[in-house]
Amino acid sequence: MKIVKINEDNCIYCHLCEVACIVEHSQSKDIIKAFKKEERPIARCSVEFNYPLSLSIMCRHCDDAPCMEACQNGAMHRDERGYVTVDSNKCVGCWMCVMACPYGVIKRDTRREVWGLSTKCDACPDRKIPACVEACPNNALTFEEI
Amino acid sequence: MKIVIIGNSVAGINAVEAIREKDKISDIRVISDEQTRAYSHPLLPNFVVGDVSRAEERFYYRHRAFYEKNNVKTILGKSVVKVFPKNKYVQLNNEEKVEYDKLLIACGGKPIIPKMQGVELEGVHTLTNIKSADRLKSELSDIKSCVVVGGGLIGSKTAEKLAKKGIKVTLVELMKRVLFPVLDDTGADYIHKELKNLGVKLILEDSVVELKGDKKVKEVVLSSGKKIETDSVVVAVGVRPNLDFVSDSDIETNKGILVNDYMQTNIDTIYAAGDVVEAYDIVIAQKRPIPILPLAARQGRIAGLNIIDSNIKYKGGFPTNSITIGKTSFISMGIVDSDEFEVLQIQNGNEYRKFLIDDNKLVGAILVGNIEKAGMFNWMIQNKFDVSWIKDTFLNSDFGWKYFNKAFRVLRLDRKIK
Repeated sequence: MKIVKINEDNCIYCHLCEVACIVEHSQSKDIIKAFKKEERPIARCSVEFNYPLSLSIMCRHCDDAPCMEACQNGAMHRDERGYVTVDSNKCVGCWMCVMACPYGVIKRDTRREVWGLSTKCDACPDRKIPACVEACPNNALTFEEI
Repeated sequence: MKIVIIGNSVAGINAVEAIREKDKISDIRVISDEQTRAYSHPLLPNFVVGDVSRAEERFYYRHRAFYEKNNVKTILGKSVVKVFPKNKYVQLNNEEKVEYDKLLIACGGKPIIPKMQGVELEGVHTLTNIKSADRLKSELSDIKSCVVVGGGLIGSKTAEKLAKKGIKVTLVELMKRVLFPVLDDTGADYIHKELKNLGVKLILEDSVVELKGDKKVKEVVLSSGKKIETDSVVVAVGVRPNLDFVSDSDIETNKGILVNDYMQTNIDTIYAAGDVVEAYDIVIAQKRPIPILPLAARQGRIAGLNIIDSNIKYKGGFPTNSITIGKTSFISMGIVDSDEFEVLQIQNGNEYRKFLIDDNKLVGAILVGNIEKAGMFNWMIQNKFDVSWIKDTFLNSDFGWKYFNKAFRVLRLDRKIK
């Protein structure tokens, strides 16, 4: 199974992966609307910086995913492609997946009225190559078998 | 092969999934005294106040089609009276016998009811299964006030939820703070404030000795002599392994069912997993019951794999907890309050971070407010990771992969080290 490989030596801290991720997970998939008009999605990847290092990090889609094990109602599940994804209609925002994720890549969306929503990389189900990989200008992110 | 699973919740369901990954033909029967398909126990306080109902998928642990899809026969609404290991069958309360080749006991825990007079009165509740939740929910519209006994995870969440419904809630906790084993004083103070903001009256270092009333509870008497008028009580002082039908069998127990590293009991055809067992705690280096959901899932999965002839070891676990009360979220894990270890801590407004380190191994952590990298610490505890070169960065609120040594980071992120 392919996942996003992180090639930190190539990263130039441009944040284009985050921009592309936000657009891809927006309602309209339009960059202007996603950033200016609609409720802006949370980027599933995060760029970290500690001079001279920078790198973008997102879900590693573990085989034995601790987040799925910790999920109280099966909202965190493996989809038919084999990627670990959140069912937003089920997630109750208990953050047990956050407590379990060994990579620290699950974010909290607390903007819903009743239930929080765990937010993480879903390997872009509508695309052949994830948006962050396509947006990366110099192969700091590549889509590969790991 | 005939596989019988006693218990239809997290450990049992994960065992089913593990078995079916490799074995599509064995006969699997799940026995439960409850009538519903597996549901989310942590959602019970939400269920009581109506945040979630039986009509919503969100309430359930697995989809409606789970049992059919996995070819599992369910025997619901029946309880197990006794296990007969020599003849390999379990006897149900309707005299029915269910034979097995391999048995998994995953019947969970039951509420601890402290010794006090009057617990049998009407209006006195527990909240550990759907039956008790239904009962509390059905009386909710008549409840004006409630005394919650016990400030653990269920007690604190219940107090929060009832208070938000406009019920006058008093929370009585024996220890000097709520969430005693999972938070320290500083961490618990955040929760105290949240509960007080919601109108919950906190009574600490006190306990309930008597519940008074004719037929229905009217008053709660504390050991300090204080009296609280109330029309309902929720007893939430914790759960213990449900050993009802194993205590007079040959299955070895202590506080819970004793299992080896393969989740196997002293009888080699019988396995046990989840809140009913006493498994290895890697932080305190001894066996004890740790009734938390992620460990029930892991143990159930391992038991399931070993039932169908794998040889997978349970490496041990430790307590991990995540809860949000009011606006404050916290995650804690391992040992959270001790003078015996190196302690790193920082408090900054709504954020609190604390780490306990024993000989350069992380043994516990508390994160309040900023919880998002919590799982990285969980990994370090589980793997007894040498933190000597990274611990200086733990208190940074932007803690992350950028602080790790490059070679290690690349190996981890490429999934070369698990």
